[in-house]
Amino acid sequence: MITFTFYLVAIILIVAAIGVITVKNPVHAALFLILAFFSSAAIWLLLQAEFLAITLVLVYVGAVMVLFLFVLMMLDVNVAPLREGFVRHFPLSIFVGGLIFVEMILVLGSWHQAVPPETLTTVPNIELLGEVLYTYYVYPFEIAAVILLVAMIAAMALTMRPHTRAKYQNPAQQVTVRREDCVRLVKMPSETKD
Amino acid sequence: MPGLHEFLMLGAVLFCLSITGIFLNRKNLLILLMCIELMLLSVNMNFIAFSYFNADIVGQIFVFFILTVAAAESAIGLAIVVVLFRNKNTINVNDLDTLKG
Amino acid sequence: MQNVFLAIVLAPLIGAITAGLLGVSRRVAHSVTISAVAISFLLSLYVFYEIIFAGAAPFNISLYTWLESGNIRLELGFLVDSLSVLMMVVVTFVSLMVHIYTVGYMHDDPGYQRFFSYINLFTFSMLMLVMSNNFVQLFFGWEAVGVVSYLLIGFWFNKETAIYANLKAFLVNRVGDFGFILGIAAVLMAFNSLDYAEVFGLAQQGQYPETISLFSGIEWSMMTVICILLFIGAMGKSAQFPLHVWLPDSMEGPTPISALIHAATMVTAGIFMVARMSPLFELSETALSFVLIIGAITAFFMGLLAIVQNDIKRVIAYSTLSQLGYMTVALGASAYAAGIFHLMTHAFFKALLFLGAGSVILAMHHEQDMRKMGGLKKYLPITYITILIGSLALIGAPGFSGFFSKDAIIEAAYHAYEAERFGAGFAYYAVLLSVFVTALYTFRMFFLTFHGKERMDKHTREHLRESPWVVTIPLILLAIPSLLIGIFTITPLLFGHYFDGAIFVNNNPFNPEHYHGVLNFIGHAFLQPPVWLAAAGVGTAVFFYLIRPELPGILAERTKLIYDLLVEKYYLDRFNDWFFAGGLRNLGSVLWKIGDVKVIDGFINGSAHLVGTVSKLIRQIQTGFLYHYAFAMILGLAVLLSIFVFGTA
Repeated sequence: MITFTFYLVAIILIVAAIGVITVKNPVHAALFLILAFFSSAAIWLLLQAEFLAITLVLVYVGAVMVLFLFVLMMLDVNVAPLREGFVRHFPLSIFVGGLIFVEMILVLGSWHQAVPPETLTTVPNIELLGEVLYTYYVYPFEIAAVILLVAMIAAMALTMRPHTRAKYQNPAQQVTVRREDCVRLVKMPSETKD
Repeated sequence: MPGLHEFLMLGAVLFCLSITGIFLNRKNLLILLMCIELMLLSVNMNFIAFSYFNADIVGQIFVFFILTVAAAESAIGLAIVVVLFRNKNTINVNDLDTLKG
Repeated sequence: MQNVFLAIVLAPLIGAITAGLLGVSRRVAHSVTISAVAISFLLSLYVFYEIIFAGAAPFNISLYTWLESGNIRLELGFLVDSLSVLMMVVVTFVSLMVHIYTVGYMHDDPGYQRFFSYINLFTFSMLMLVMSNNFVQLFFGWEAVGVVSYLLIGFWFNKETAIYANLKAFLVNRVGDFGFILGIAAVLMAFNSLDYAEVFGLAQQGQYPETISLFSGIEWSMMTVICILLFIGAMGKSAQFPLHVWLPDSMEGPTPISALIHAATMVTAGIFMVARMSPLFELSETALSFVLIIGAITAFFMGLLAIVQNDIKRVIAYSTLSQLGYMTVALGASAYAAGIFHLMTHAFFKALLFLGAGSVILAMHHEQDMRKMGGLKKYLPITYITILIGSLALIGAPGFSGFFSKDAIIEAAYHAYEAERFGAGFAYYAVLLSVFVTALYTFRMFFLTFHGKERMDKHTREHLRESPWVVTIPLILLAIPSLLIGIFTITPLLFGHYFDGAIFVNNNPFNPEHYHGVLNFIGHAFLQPPVWLAAAGVGTAVFFYLIRPELPGILAERTKLIYDLLVEKYYLDRFNDWFFAGGLRNLGSVLWKIGDVKVIDGFINGSAHLVGTVSKLIRQIQTGFLYHYAFAMILGLAVLLSIFVFGTA
């Protein structure tokens, strides 16, 4: 049953990946990518990585891919010029991809077949992960948090547009002001009041 | 239960597909970003497979960090794309050749 | 005692720093420096008394280890024995006289404090040189006096000739110093030590390599190589032929300097050094012959040059060269004691002559040409008498100090001649003839300056008057030893045991058995040629410059060839300028135009062009398109994978 599920989900995953790289509309590509993430999550569940599978769905599908779609729709890109040369480059890309694939298969072929462990641990995956993450990997964990923070601030700083209409004072300019800039002495004959 | 080979094969297929994708969609910056996500996914797949078959939780820790960095990367990457589009009104890679030597 | 030595050395150094760096007034500058030298002089006298009369053993102390590297120890230390204490007293006494003299001589000079700082520094350096107990400190003092000499020759640095002269002195001394440091290196190589006592001890036991292979295959006697190299250093510093060319030009400096450095003390450093190294020189007959011949050439030929000079200071300068030649002859004849004896008497009378010449120059408003003097006798009585005493001492008039030392040297040369030392015959006749030459040029100078017609212009004549007391007092104080010191010191210095333990001689030319007191020595001299040669020289001078003053000009016309040769100083300066200076300049210009501009610059510019050209090609690869970079990366991945998969299989 598990084997069947694996192959089914794997086929869906590969089809989704092919979809990502071939469809014309980037929105469709993003949707295919979401499908690919979902399928991967399913496969990870088969490998008893429950926490990561759920994280993948929550973080990637829920946040990153939504961001992708958001940007795609906001930018309103003209797709036609971006597709040119697709057919022309098709043979070359297939060749390179295929070459690397063949080489990888060759590497794998020389490996011994690993046997899946029969005994399943009783400890929940999330507890196991937490134990290691908060002990041995606590500093990398902290750094990862900082990286996320930096990314967040960087993204905001990059996309923020300064308010051009806002009025504000420049203290530096205020203190360096000279009399000549502000006062103008004018000599003129006295005028009678009519 | 399928063996380690099958999972690694799946990762390899995904990786090669994303490489092919980079070649095919060379003009569209957004698709390129997606292909990179796909590539990272294939790497993660390998990590989790190894973690399971070697009964070592550290593989999953790696995936955890890769996910974190990848999320940060895509956030900044998309921000750059947005700024780029705002300034140049295009995301066609052909038009972005200011680094030409 | 150690503190006394330190005080002797450091007092002038402190004086130099005070006068030179602290920006003090003129008054403070000369008071501080003069008292510093006075302290050194008095303490030197005290040490002299301790060693000579109180019978203290020679002091050999190491104060401070500068550095230690392997077996080599570089130390600061003092070796004070009869030889160095004599030098200390002479140096500090002449220096003190010159200091006092300078107060009057440099009175109007804007560089007053600087001058006092320099001469104090010189005294310090010279004391370091003579009191050293090892070769490194000797070399330090050697170079330090050289630097001060350089600074003082170029003291009037706005004068182009002075700058030329000090550069010349510096460069010529470099040649000598190069030999000197090679000699020190050879000593270190042979004895593995730089300490005097150790080196001399090993040398006398014969514990050193017999030969050295300088060029492949040819074996040289180790001791000859060492001694000749060291003597080359002495040739530079003591202005021996052919490295003498700097000394006449050094007269561009102020006169007190000519007296102190270029007559009395620094130039005799080479003589002192060779005497100090007597245990080494005694072991090499070849080196002694070399020393003898060089000294004889200098003594005779430089004396000839003095006859044709018209600048009063240059006459004395060439005379100094000639007298240094005498001392060198003494060294070469193994009569180190006579050399040091002459060094001492010469220091007094030559300093006196220079200071007296300075007094004349001062009175003449810095006019040095003797053709514009004459008849100064009645204007400058004190100077006249003191210079007369100095001149008589110089020519070796019986009873004057120079007589004893010069006679001793001639006798030593004769002794060496009898002992069949190579070159001694030539040396003997050279120094003998030099007596005549010395008397001739000395009294030519004397008569031209003080007798005959008054040839100066009217303005100068009206202002002629005797120099102030700060100038005349040193003259008088120097005249006393010039007159008397020979009588009192000849017995212990030459025939007594004064230098025992300080100077080592295999075969002493001065046999006490043939010596019967000073008076006898004087009396005996009248039976010898030198005194009559000197008298003949004086007589010639009287004839040519008093009785028939028009004759020298006619004689110069008749013997134009020889006269020109002498005026041009044997064309040595011309040759040096043309061959060494010009040759080096041409070589430099060739290296510059071809070696630097064409080869090196060509290489450097060429490599820059090459980088530029290659970069121009390579930057075509940088298309700026993202996918090209991605493609390159993936291609790289494929290649690496291929190597991994197919390469290992």
